Formats: sequence, structure tokens, C-alpha cells
Amino acid sequence: MFKLFSSLRKEFLLLINDKTGLALMFLMPLLLVFIITIIQDSAYKMVNENQIPLLVVNHDDGKEGDKLVALLTKSGLFKVDSQNRIQQKALRSELLARGKMLALYIPKTFSAGLESNAGDVSTILMDDLGLEHDTTDKPKVDMPSLSFYNDPVLQENYSTSVMGIIQSYMSVIENSLMIDRMYTSMDLGDKSEVLKDKMISNRVKIDQIIATNNNSTAIPNSTQHNVPAWTIFAMFFMVVSLGSNIVKERISGSFLRLKTMPTTFMLVMFSKMTIYVIVAVLQVALTFSMGIWILPRLGLPMLAFPQNFIAMAAVVFMSSMAAVSYALMIGALSKTEQQANGFGAISIIIFGAIGGILVPTFVMPGFMQFASNFSPLHWCLEGFYVLFLKGGSWHELRHVFAFLGVFILICQVGTYFKLRLERII
Amino acid sequence: MTEPVCIEIQHVSKRYKSSQEDSLSGINLKIHCGDVFGLLGPNGAGKTTLISILCGIIPASTGEVNYYIDGSRISDNERKSRIGFVPQEYAFYQELSARQNLDYFGAMYNIPKKDLKTRREHLLEVLGLEKSADKKVGTFSGGMKRRINLAIGIIHEPAILFLDEPTVGVDVQSRNAIIRYLQQVNQAGTTIIYTSHHMSEAEEFCKHIALIDHGKVIANGELKMLKVQNAVSSLQSLFIKLTGEAYRD
Repeated sequence: MFKLFSSLRKEFLLLINDKTGLALMFLMPLLLVFIITIIQDSAYKMVNENQIPLLVVNHDDGKEGDKLVALLTKSGLFKVDSQNRIQQKALRSELLARGKMLALYIPKTFSAGLESNAGDVSTILMDDLGLEHDTTDKPKVDMPSLSFYNDPVLQENYSTSVMGIIQSYMSVIENSLMIDRMYTSMDLGDKSEVLKDKMISNRVKIDQIIATNNNSTAIPNSTQHNVPAWTIFAMFFMVVSLGSNIVKERISGSFLRLKTMPTTFMLVMFSKMTIYVIVAVLQVALTFSMGIWILPRLGLPMLAFPQNFIAMAAVVFMSSMAAVSYALMIGALSKTEQQANGFGAISIIIFGAIGGILVPTFVMPGFMQFASNFSPLHWCLEGFYVLFLKGGSWHELRHVFAFLGVFILICQVGTYFKLRLERII
Repeated sequence: MTEPVCIEIQHVSKRYKSSQEDSLSGINLKIHCGDVFGLLGPNGAGKTTLISILCGIIPASTGEVNYYIDGSRISDNERKSRIGFVPQEYAFYQELSARQNLDYFGAMYNIPKKDLKTRREHLLEVLGLEKSADKKVGTFSGGMKRRINLAIGIIHEPAILFLDEPTVGVDVQSRNAIIRYLQQVNQAGTTIIYTSHHMSEAEEFCKHIALIDHGKVIANGELKMLKVQNAVSSLQSLFIKLTGEAYRD
């Protein structure tokens, strides 16, 4: 027992003397969770809660342009800045100069084009119904085009959704014009208002329902996504501390010296794994505490725990073991500390990227989604997401445990054979 | 009266997988209890390979090594408790203090906690490390590192002590302190097997030597007798006479 205690104490002392490793393992996840959650949350709020700055140049001679601007303003989604003196040619440079990100140009013939089109539709309808109508020739005006400008730094999906909003307002205006024209053709005058109200206000509502495995009340948000994701990333970053720790002991001859002593190498490895699994658990405790107590104070959503706490503890343990085993293998395979640190850190960033830590896997192309299956970080993240976002439990976690179990086994066997090859074991 | 045999090396050969030649070839040696035995030879002669086999770090390709304590052969497991090994490298934890290193390695030798503290403080004192005992070993001078390397190898008071170049790269003061202490350890009954390139130090320290070259023992016996037999006045002259003056890689 004294031997085990001494071995654990030695590993603990080596750990607390590694200031850089400690900073990477404990400060980095806090900073990452803090920064990324704030950034994602503000992006989320920008789309859903804040008004989007929109520069509007309305050169329309008729009323419909004003109606469109009024609808955009009334929607509350945009902070409309009307600058009708700007010429279309200058709009690109004005957009960039004013830092507006988005701009809409309404052409001179906007109303005329829409009215002309509504007239055509009305004529076809009246003819088909065999009703009399005004047959005098009216000047034809082509269907107008709106010009939508966006800053190149703006994400494509963001500008696409804004165009979708404008398109839906255009439908309202076009439908309204067509109804007016048909009622006028039928000499029904102002009676069109009732129909227009009915058509505009009585639209199909879409209820958003989050697909979870139980009646979990956890709402997907930036905290629920980022706290587990960056905790896993930091866990695997222990490769810098533990990997170089192994390399140092191999190179210095400490491992060989231990071979001449009445002790087993298993004790050394067991002590290292125990200390670093505790480190990983502390990392989880630290970042999760931040999600519960600090992020809400900054106006961010609070981290909501899953109902199955034992399953969560099992995911934490398996993720810790995967991170520790990977670090041991890198330490055993590397020839120098620099190699362990460099390869270890870069491999974790790559595993993180393909594993969905930086960008969700569902937005990746097919082959990258397939590649993500080979990232241990993906399976650790999947384990947390099953519990934190999908309200899953043991049944949904079986693939996660199977993959992580195989990964841990491969790393442990790899470490064993490399150390055996060097006659350390 | 001749002391009983402590280590018996019989027909030991070693060939590494990556090599076409034997690093050691048919080594036969007997080391007596209480001796200070010098394993000497030029670079690449096979000294470190032989010490590694004797300590159980690497296996011999052929042949066997037997250990005897009080006339009885001991098992491999018991051997680990009875031998001490001081490698050429600084095989300890540079980030830990001298006390912490001694505590850890002492515990690995199964020394009870109470005894460990006494032995640790004694070694720190006799090797002149007590003032720096709580400083990180990484900040020590070369001589101090050699002394802590030695202290780790003898903290469990071994019956047999293997020293692979224990004074390489240290100043005269540290070397004298180390050799003086090793002489005390030997007088207390510990058998010492020692390698070095310092011929004057080896001449002063060793009673018996084995000269190894190209993996073979080319001379073995009492140092005084070997000098007489080869008509030389010093170990250095004996060394040059038997191994030649050509460079070794």
C-alpha cells in the first residue's frame, strides 16, 4: 500500500511541477468554453433576437416599394436605414463603407412591373371564368428584380435566410396586388380587404419540437453544445503533459532503473492512469461548474444536467480513459518530447475538427462524416450529446461505449508492445 | 581465505537483433562476495551490455548468470531486492527534489516508511546533499546529480551494487566524495561491480578486474597480479598493452 501511495504521490508531484501542462489542461478549457459560448450565443441572438442592419435604397416610382420597406420595418427583424439618394452603381461601395453587411435596392419600375403582372394574372382569370372586364390595352412592364447585396464576410446561410424573409414579404405584396386587381376588374371595389386579411393572417403555423429520447427539458443552446465539446477537447490535450512525461521517463532511464527494482511496471502505469483520470474528472467538474454558475451570470444559458447521472459518470470515465490511453500511446511512440508535444497537439486538433468539436458533423460532406467515426473525440462528444441534448440513456450509449472500449484497448496494446520492444516492460 | 562466489557468469553471449555480430561472446566470470570488481574496456567493448544483463534489464542470448547470497543461489525476484544499480544516465526525476526522489525509489525497493526516512537523511548527509535536499534535482550541478544518482542505487543497502561509470563528468571533489563513500559501502560488506574510463580511479578502487574488448574477456584476475604478469606498472599501461592504441567507435 505504501508503494502504491508513493507511486501515486510521485505522479502527482510530477503533475503539479508541470506548469505548462496544468495551464493547458485547466485554463484552456475554461477560456475555450467561455469564448466560444459567448461568440456562438451572440451569433444566435443576432439572428433570433437582434435587429439586422439593412441599408435600403428605394427608387420605386409607385407605392409598392414603400409597402415593402414598411413591411420590413414592421417585422422587427431589421434595422432599416433608408438612403434613397444613393445610386445603384455606388451601392456596393456604400454598403462596405457604412458597415451595414446587407443592402436592398428597389428599382424604379418595381410597382409598375408588379401591377402589370397582376393585371395579366387577372385578365387570364377573368377570361377563364367568362367574365367581362376592361379590355383596353395597357402598357406592359417587365417583372422587376430586386437587388440584394451582402458583405462577402457574411455567412452564406445567413444571407440566404434574409433573402427568404424578403421573398415571403414579396409574396404578400404580389398576392395583395392580384386580389386588388381581380376585385377591381369585377367592380367589387374595396371589398377585397376581408379576403386579403384572411389570406395574410391565417397562414399555417410551424411548431418547433426538439427530438429527444425522453421528456428531457434540456434546450439545445450554445452552453449545452460547447461545454461538453470543449471539455473533451481539453481532456485529450493532456497528451502534452502525460505524453512528454512518458518520453522523459523513457529517455532518462528511470523506467529501466525501475526494471531492476522489486516492483512491477503495472504499478507505474496504473498510477499514471489514476492521476490523469482524476485530472480529466476535475476538468469536467471545472468546466461544468462554469456552465452552471458562471455562464448564467454573463447572460448565457445555464448548463442543464441529464437525468441519468450514473450514465453521465460512465461517459466521463470512458472519455477520460480514452484521453489517458491516447496520451500514453503517443508518449510511448515518440522519440522526443518535442515529437510528443507537436504530434500530440496537432493530432488532437485534427481529431477535434473531424470529430465535430469545431464544426458539427452534420454540416460536413459525406466522406468527412464517415471519417468522423475514426475520431475518439467524436464518440466522446456523441456520448455527451446523447445525454445532454437527446435525453438518451444506456441503450443509446452502447455504440459510444463499444467504440471507446476498442479505442482504449488499441492504445493500451500499442503502448504495451512499444515499451516491450524497448525492453522497458 | 577466499570469499564465496557472489555472481557466477557462465558462457554469456549477447547479439542484438539489429546486429550481425555478438556484443558479448562466451563470457565466464566469477565475482566474489565483498569484492570491488572492475569491468574495464574501451568504448563499445560490451561493458554496459554485460552490466545490463547482470541487472536483468536485458536477457542474455545464451548462457546464464547465477547469484548467491550466504552461499545459496537466489531467485530472480530476490535478486531485485538485493542488488542496486547506478546507471550512467541521470535516471531520476529532474522535476522532483532529492528527498522526493529518494522517497519514491526507496518505496519501490519496499523499504518500510520509518526506515526510509532514516536512510534518506543519512544518505543526504554523507553525500553532502542535505542543504539542497528540497530543491528540484534539475537545478543541481553535475556532481550533485551524480551523488543523488548513487544515493538512489544504495538506499536499500544492497548486497551487490552495480555502478556504470558513476563518476563520469564530475569535478575532483565530487569524484573523491563518491569513491570515498563507495569504499565505506564496500567495507560494510557490499560487493561492487564497477565500470569506468578513469584508469587511475579504477586502480585505486578495484581489487579485481576483468578487461573486456570486442565482447570478450581478455584479462581477468587480481589487479596486482595482472600488472606483474604483464610487466607494467599501472592499470593504464596494462589497458593500452592489451587493447592497443587504435581509436574505438
